[in-house]
Order: sequence, then structure tokens, then C-alpha cells
Amino acid sequence: MLELSSIAVDHGSQRALWDVSLEVGERELVGLLGANGAGKSTTLGAIIGLYPVAAGSVRYSGEEIGSRSTSRNVAAGISLVPEGRRLFGEMQVEENLAMGAYAPAARPGVARGLERVYALFPILAQKRRQNAGELSGGQQQMVAIGRALMSNPKLLLLDEPFIGVAPMLVEEILRVLRDIAAGGVTMLLVEQNIHRALDFVERAYVIENGRTVLEGTREALVGNPEFNNKFLGLD
Amino acid sequence: MNRPGWKLALFIAAGCIPLAQNAYYTTFAFTILVAFVLAQSWDWVAGEMGYVNLGHYVFYGIGAYAFAIALVGKYPSGVAMLFALLITALAAALLAFPLFRLKGDYFAFGTLALLPLAEVLALNLVPITNGSDGIVLPPENVLTRAYFVVLVVCVIAAIVSVRLARNRFGYALKSIRNDEEVAEVMGVRIFPAKVAVVVLAAAFAGVAGAIQAWQMSFIDPGTVFGLNVALVPVAMALLGGSGLLWGPLVGVLLLATMQQWLLVNVKGYQATIYGTVILLIGRFMPGGLLRAGWVRERSWLRGLTQEHHERITGVQEARTEAQSGMRELPLVPRKTDRGRALLECRDLTMAFGGNVAIDRVNLKIMEGEIVGLVGANGSGKTTLFNCISKVHEPRSGGVFIDGVALAGRRRDEVAHLGVGRTYQIPRPFGDLTVQENIAVPLMFGEDRLQPREALAQAREFVAYAELESRLTDRADSLSLQEKKALEFARALACKPRVLLVDEVASGLTPAEIRRFVEQIRDVRDRYGITVIWVEHIFSALAQVVDRVVVLEQGLVIADGPLNEVVADERVLRTYLGGVAPKVPAVHA
Amino acid sequence: MSIEALVQVLIGGILLGGLYALVAFGLSLIYGVVRILNFSHGTLLAVGGVAASLLYASFKLHPVVLMLILVPALFVFGYLFYTFLLQPLEKRSHFESTVGTVLVTVGALLILSDVTAKLAGATQRNIPIRFEAIEIGEIVISTTQIWILAAIAVLTIAMQVFLRRTWFGRAIRAVTQDPVGARICGVDSSRMKAATFAFGSSIVAVAAVLYTMSFPVDPYMGFGLTVKAFTIIILGGIGNLVGALLAGLFLGVAEGLTGFFWKSEWAPALSVILLLVILVVFPKGLGRSR
Repeated sequence: MLELSSIAVDHGSQRALWDVSLEVGERELVGLLGANGAGKSTTLGAIIGLYPVAAGSVRYSGEEIGSRSTSRNVAAGISLVPEGRRLFGEMQVEENLAMGAYAPAARPGVARGLERVYALFPILAQKRRQNAGELSGGQQQMVAIGRALMSNPKLLLLDEPFIGVAPMLVEEILRVLRDIAAGGVTMLLVEQNIHRALDFVERAYVIENGRTVLEGTREALVGNPEFNNKFLGLD
Repeated sequence: MNRPGWKLALFIAAGCIPLAQNAYYTTFAFTILVAFVLAQSWDWVAGEMGYVNLGHYVFYGIGAYAFAIALVGKYPSGVAMLFALLITALAAALLAFPLFRLKGDYFAFGTLALLPLAEVLALNLVPITNGSDGIVLPPENVLTRAYFVVLVVCVIAAIVSVRLARNRFGYALKSIRNDEEVAEVMGVRIFPAKVAVVVLAAAFAGVAGAIQAWQMSFIDPGTVFGLNVALVPVAMALLGGSGLLWGPLVGVLLLATMQQWLLVNVKGYQATIYGTVILLIGRFMPGGLLRAGWVRERSWLRGLTQEHHERITGVQEARTEAQSGMRELPLVPRKTDRGRALLECRDLTMAFGGNVAIDRVNLKIMEGEIVGLVGANGSGKTTLFNCISKVHEPRSGGVFIDGVALAGRRRDEVAHLGVGRTYQIPRPFGDLTVQENIAVPLMFGEDRLQPREALAQAREFVAYAELESRLTDRADSLSLQEKKALEFARALACKPRVLLVDEVASGLTPAEIRRFVEQIRDVRDRYGITVIWVEHIFSALAQVVDRVVVLEQGLVIADGPLNEVVADERVLRTYLGGVAPKVPAVHA
Repeated sequence: MSIEALVQVLIGGILLGGLYALVAFGLSLIYGVVRILNFSHGTLLAVGGVAASLLYASFKLHPVVLMLILVPALFVFGYLFYTFLLQPLEKRSHFESTVGTVLVTVGALLILSDVTAKLAGATQRNIPIRFEAIEIGEIVISTTQIWILAAIAVLTIAMQVFLRRTWFGRAIRAVTQDPVGARICGVDSSRMKAATFAFGSSIVAVAAVLYTMSFPVDPYMGFGLTVKAFTIIILGGIGNLVGALLAGLFLGVAEGLTGFFWKSEWAPALSVILLLVILVVFPKGLGRSR
């Protein structure tokens, strides 16, 4: 479904990604792991079109999308839950969610989409008229996930969705993400808590200094001493 | 090529112009000189400090009015000139307070709004300004005298520009231009510097206005505060190249010549033509002619394209000497007393809106300790650093350095109390060289070194950070790893008692991490610097820390030796996710 | 100094303030989305007002018809101005794009007012359309003023509804609050910027017709208006229409009272002095964040 081969991305004059390759199959749950600054967020940004790809190719459903605009990618079914949530703080929760259906094809489905999000996160239905900036961290994260679902994505990119979320809500969000995945949505998850990540995904890539350095299924990775060392930096 | 020599030759040539006894040429040269004073003084604020002051012309007008009023009041022209200078400087000092609340395009707008205000004042304060009738000065042909006076002012302005390129004050301005917050954290006291440069520039503009009024012998509100004339000096400086030593002069020569030609050859639509020129400069060359590629490629023009600060570092020959092991740092070793709390947080709380980032944190860091600060992203580590370095004012509770409360202190004062820090995402002064970056805290630290000494001493820090090969490169051309090394060295150059290191090892190779760990140990062991180190990489921490503090959701959830902390169930659950990592023995 | 005269002044001040607020709306929307302070914004009102007055003098067009002509004209102007003169500057460094946009918009300001003055004359003009006056006791209220006040009220409400209910309006708010967040929702940022610039400029066309019906316009008045609109934004907050309306009314009434109790020549200085005072008294600004 998604295939990155040796992509490179520049931030201004600085190269942020050097050589990242990964594949995500239809309905697969894949993790992208690595230290801070390794290039995980940049990879997700490059997939959805926030950053132009300087080299290599990004293929989605068989088509090259490396130079496509974000709006086209969103219309084509890619959705991002960004680092830091990026909500519209002075807009109501419901307006935030509705913005997720901005793509012309998604607009007629707003009412259905809202219903679905409220069913997944009942608390948001209660807070629908409140400004998003007033919510707690966990609730804001729910809005960010809900907003990403409003465009009815086929591929959901999640960038550290548990930052600033109280442990109790982490469980709830994880449960909802599993539901969404069961509904047929493919996911690529960036997460720094590897145990949590490996609980959730089937397969994962490890990225280091802008390069993919390791890949494997959950079982293979957990048993791989190199992985543990890279990860916890326990060498 | 000796550049001050060139400028000198230019001014001597300019001095010969009135000898030709041709009033037309003398007037034209006079106009150019006045414009140069305006454009050059504008560029001290814009090019050096990065603040676009669109109301600079107001000071020219105030100077013109002050001079005219004093002259009509029968004071000698010298006294009137002095009066104009003082009044303008005073006005600038007063206006600086509200205006420096604004940044970026808001500052540009706020300053531009001064023009209509000044015009209204000049029109309505009839008893002082004679309103729209303007002021007629005593008739007298002063062209030649005015010419030489403005020539002298030009020479002084040029000297000031050259001085600013290399003195401490100039470096304060350059650091403000790059990053005000970081400048302050590095010990630069920014507000007085900002006011000083605006007052300095205003005084020159005021004198220029006074001389112009003297020569024209008539002024009214439109000629000194009009929007169409007011932006011409700005356009001139930008056309040449703002921030370049030769930029304003080149811009003035080109635009003034064109203006003169238009004045003679085109009737009507003057404002349209000015407007078009201003618009085209803005659209096609806001960086200036001297920054255009085709100018840089011509070797005979390259001398003109230098940035102010390039010359000072360019002359120093690179010194290379092979040396193994850890280099020496020009720091005075401190005796440390492990029983004494150097840094203390008492009930420290910080919130952004409803989001509590730091929640009643109590923390004691002993002198000479190396403490690891860990926690998930968003757990409040960087916010804690920001509270200590006063980037944020905490909501409640307090931070104490060696018993001294930081409440109510500015960032530069905190730096002088002995706090040095790095940023997680490096924030070097991008358009300064590596050497200059490190020289800034040396110049504005306790020792208050002169630039020459600071730059010399900076080399030792550069060597320590193993960046010698990049000594005279611009900091924004460095790789991420090099920037992190630079940040670390710059924080050391603050000569801190406590060093706050924010994730300096992430993204480094194991060998680089090892070197880094060695350096952290070294600065503590040899120079007695206390270190708090935010890091995700446990193995790096394990090699050097005395203890770790774990933050979660803004709360301290664990505090103790690393191997105890990683066994703590709460830490495991919230941070590591449930499986105890095996921790290598801590070798102290 | 009668009460009746004072009431007249207050009504005039409210009218003027409402018109200032309309000008500020456009500037505020543009600044929120494009992050450019358009120094020629108020000049569009001057040019539009002169054009409206000339059209009225020649063809006796109804004010609504004048708006129908000027709104699309300024929309197209704004679109082209942004696309060809401002958008290319975005690629440059921060300092260069700041000074570049300042010079381009100030240059446009000078050109627009000078060309207008040369073509139409530098005199003051208006739209001398007058409806019947209503007399309540000693107080005379012109129905023209009432119509204009009603138009301002309707426009403010329409704008508010537009920003809350339409996709374009919501996108404007979203981009103002978080540009990256809006992009990942599928908002095309460069198209949004051009459209918002054009839209913000076209609001001025409506204000221009209303303004010229009640106050004289001249080609050189534009910059003063821009300064007022800017003060209003600082007072009311970027993208905050209700705040802008209140700030506009405050400024308009304050200017009216300045003229009433003192001298009307001082009124133009009021906004700048107010701006400086706000900056000293409220160092963090009033809703200056965004």
C-alpha cells in the first residue's frame, strides 16, 4: 500500500533524512521507532506531503506521490495525527473535527463522521461546544485522532499520540485505535515507548540518524539483542 | 585591498566637489551625503540588529524642526545643531519604550505610524511649528558650510559603522538580530542595547535633518514627515544591501542619482515613480544588489559584498596543532562541596493555559553533581530548564542558585549567576561564525572581554569541541552534530557553575556519544561544573551520572541512583513500559 | 455645547468606528492567514471611495450597484497583487521577506494614491445621496446614517456567520490558529492565502461605498486609515471580529469626542497615541498572540 524507497528530505539546507525505506501492506499495523531527532516525524511529514522528497520515491497504492501536495494526499486517503496535535485552539471541538473533512470528497460525510468519532470518544460529544484549547492533553489527543478520521482515511499516520496523555487515557486511546484498525485502516505509528508500540504493531522499523537500520516483526525484534541495545541505548 | 583606505579616498574626493564652485553639483553631492547619513544610521538598527524601523525619518524631521526653531530664536547655528541632536536623542529614548514591545512586522508598522503622528503634531502645534505654513530660516547661503559639516558627519557615521562591525556593542546587536532569547541567556543585556542603538541612529538622523534644514532654509510638515520621502533612505539601504558594510553607500549613490535624473527629466508623477522604485526593490531585491549572484561572481566587486563581521575573523590564520586527549579550557577550576545545594527548586510550578507542565517540583542539586533528568517526551524536562534559565517565569514556587532566588531576575542576570544551557534543537547565532558564537558569552559574561580577547579565547573552546576546521564558518552551515557541539561549547563559554544540557547525545554515533560523556565528566572533574543532563539514552547516562531524576506529567516520580530508579515499578510502568532493562554497572 | 450636538457626535463616531472596523476586518483576516501587514490596505478604501464617487456623479448608480462593481474589482486586484508581487517573496529569508513585503505594499500605497490624485484630482469627494431625515425632538438623525449603520451590523453578522459556518471561513480561522494543522486537514495553503488576500481586499470595497456616503474621501487618506485599522487589530486581537468591532467603535467615538470637546485636527493623532499608550500599559498586548 505504501512504499518508501531510499528517500531523503532536506529542511532548508540541512539534510534531515538520508536513506529511509519502508513498506506498509494493506491493513497492516507498522511501527516506526527511534530516538529523538532520528527523523521519525520527518518521515511521516514526507509521506503526507508536508516536506518535499529530495531523493528516492514514495509510492502509495501504486502511484508515485513524492511531489504531491498535502491536500491531494489527504484526498487520496492519507491522514496524519501530528506531533503536538496541532489543533485549532480557539475553535470548538466540533469545528476542529469538521476541519478534518475539509477535502471536497469528505465534506458530504461530515455528519456521519462526527457520529462515528463521538461513538469512539463519547467524552468529545459532551465537550463538542468547548474550545479545543481548553481540553486536557488526553482529550486533545482524542480530538486530533478524531479529526484525522474525519476524512475517512485508508492510511493513518500517528506521530507519538500518547505524549502528554494521562496513563488511564492511554489505555482508552489504544483500545479505540485497535477498533479503528479492526475496521480496516492501515496504520503507521511513531512511538518512543517501544513496549507500548510493540504491543500494538505487528512489525516495526528502527530509524537512526535519518536512516532505517533495522526491520522486523514484533517477535523478531523483541528477541533481537541489537534492537534492545539500539533502543534503550544499553550497549 | 585596504577598505577603510578606499572609503577615505572617496571622502577626500567628495571634499573636493565644492571647490568646483558649481552650485548644482555641490547641491547634488550634498543631497547624497545627507541620504547616506540617513541610510547608514537606519542600517545600524536594521542591518545590525534586525529591527526594521520605518519611522527613522521622524527623527530627521524632529532634528530639522528643532534646528529651525533654535535658529529662528537667534541661537548660533552650532548651538542649534547641538539642540537638534539632543532633542532627537531624547525623543528616540522615549519612543523606544513602547516601540520595543513590538517585534517583526509589528515593529515595522508601529514605527511607520510615527510618521502621520509627527505630521499631525507639526501641523497642529502652531505656536511651536508654525503649522502648515512651515518655518522660514534666516536667508543666508550656507551651502558650502553645510556641505562640509555633513561631510564630517558622514565620516563619523562611516567610522561608527566600521566600529560596530567589530566592537562589543556591535556583537550585542548581532546576537539580538539572530535570537534575542538566546542572546539574553548568554548574558547579553538586550534592552539597553536596543535603546542605545536607536538613540544613536536617531541622533545622526536628527543632525542630518538639521543640516538639511539649514541648507534649504525652509521646512514644512510635508517635506520632513511625508510618507513618500520618508522611505527613500530605507529603500536606498536595502537596494545596496542591508547589513553589508558598503550596502547603504552603494544604494544611496544609485538611487540618489536616479532620483536626480527623474527630478530633472520627469514632470509630475514623482510619488508614483518613487513608489514604483520602492516596490520593485522590495519585489526583486530585498536582499540588495550586493548580495546578487552576479555581483558576488565579479572579483573586483567582491570586496564590496563582505558582511560586516567577516573581516575581523578573516584575518586570523588558522592555527593547527595536533593534540591528543582532552584539551584545556580557559576556565578557573572551582572547589566543590557535595554537601551544599547549588541549585534548588522549591514547589516549582509552571502551566501553559490549563496545561500544567511542571507540578510542584522540589529538587536539590548538590555542587559538583552530575544529575540525569529523564522522562517521556512532554513530561516537563525542557520546561524545567526554561524555568531555571528564566525563559519562562514560573507560575509559582521558586528556583535558587546557591541560595539566591531567581524570582524577578532577568535572563542575563541568571547567566551571570552561573547558569549555562544548551537547547534541545540547537539555536546558534546562525549568521555569525563558530568562533563569534562562542565569543559572545565571553564578551558578555563576568569577565566582559573585549572582542579581540574573546575571539582569541573562543578558539580554545572551539578546540575543546573539536570544531577547529569550522572556526570561521557560519554557524548555520554546520551539520546537526556540529551544531550540538557548538551549543555545548557556547554554554561552557558562559563559564557556568551549573550547566543545563538538553539532549545533546541524541542523533550522535556511539563514538560521538562516548566523547561527549567524557567531556561532561571532564568539565565536572577538572573545573567543578555541576551538570544536569536531559537524555533519553540510558547507556550514556549510566556512564557518568551520580543520580537520575524521573519526571512524568510534570511530577518528580523518582530520584536516586540509576540502577535503583530503573527498578522502580512506577518508573517502569509509566516510562519504560513494563520490562526492566538490564543496566550495566555504573562506573564512577 | 448642547446635548443634541453631543448625540449627533456620538452617532457620527459610531458610524465612523463601524467603518474603521470593516476596514480592520479585512486587514485582520489577511494578517491572520498570510502573515503580511498590507500597508496599502486603507488606500484601497481611498481609491475605491474616489471611484465610487465618480461613478455616482456620472451615472447616478445606487450604492448597492456601486458595491457590486467594486467588490469584484478589488477582489481581482487583491488576488493579482498578492500572486504577482507578494507570494514570490515568501521563498526568501525572514528578513528579506519582511522588508520586501513592506516595500512592495508601501510602494503600492504611494502609486495608488498618486495615480488616483493625478487622474481624479486631489480634492475631497463624496456620494451626495441623502435620504429623508428623522427628527426626534431636537435630534436630527439622517436615514442615510441609519442605513449605513444597519449595513455595518448586517455585514459584521454575515462575516461572523461566514467564518463559523462556511468551509472557506473555517479554513481561514484554522490557518490563522495553526497553519500546519490546517495543511494536514487538506487546506491548500497557497491558494488559501491568495483567496484570503483577495477576500480581505474586497471587504474594503463595501466599506469604501459606505464611507463615501457619509464622509468625504481623498486619495491621500488611505494610510491614516491603515494605521487606525492596525490599532484596532492590536486592541481587538487578530482574527477576532467582535473585538475589532468594539475597538473600532471605541476609536470612532473617541475621535468624535476629541473633535467635539477639543479640536478635530487632533483626531488623526489619536489612534497612534492610543497605540503607543497600549504598548506601554499592556506590555504583553491585548490578544496580540493571534
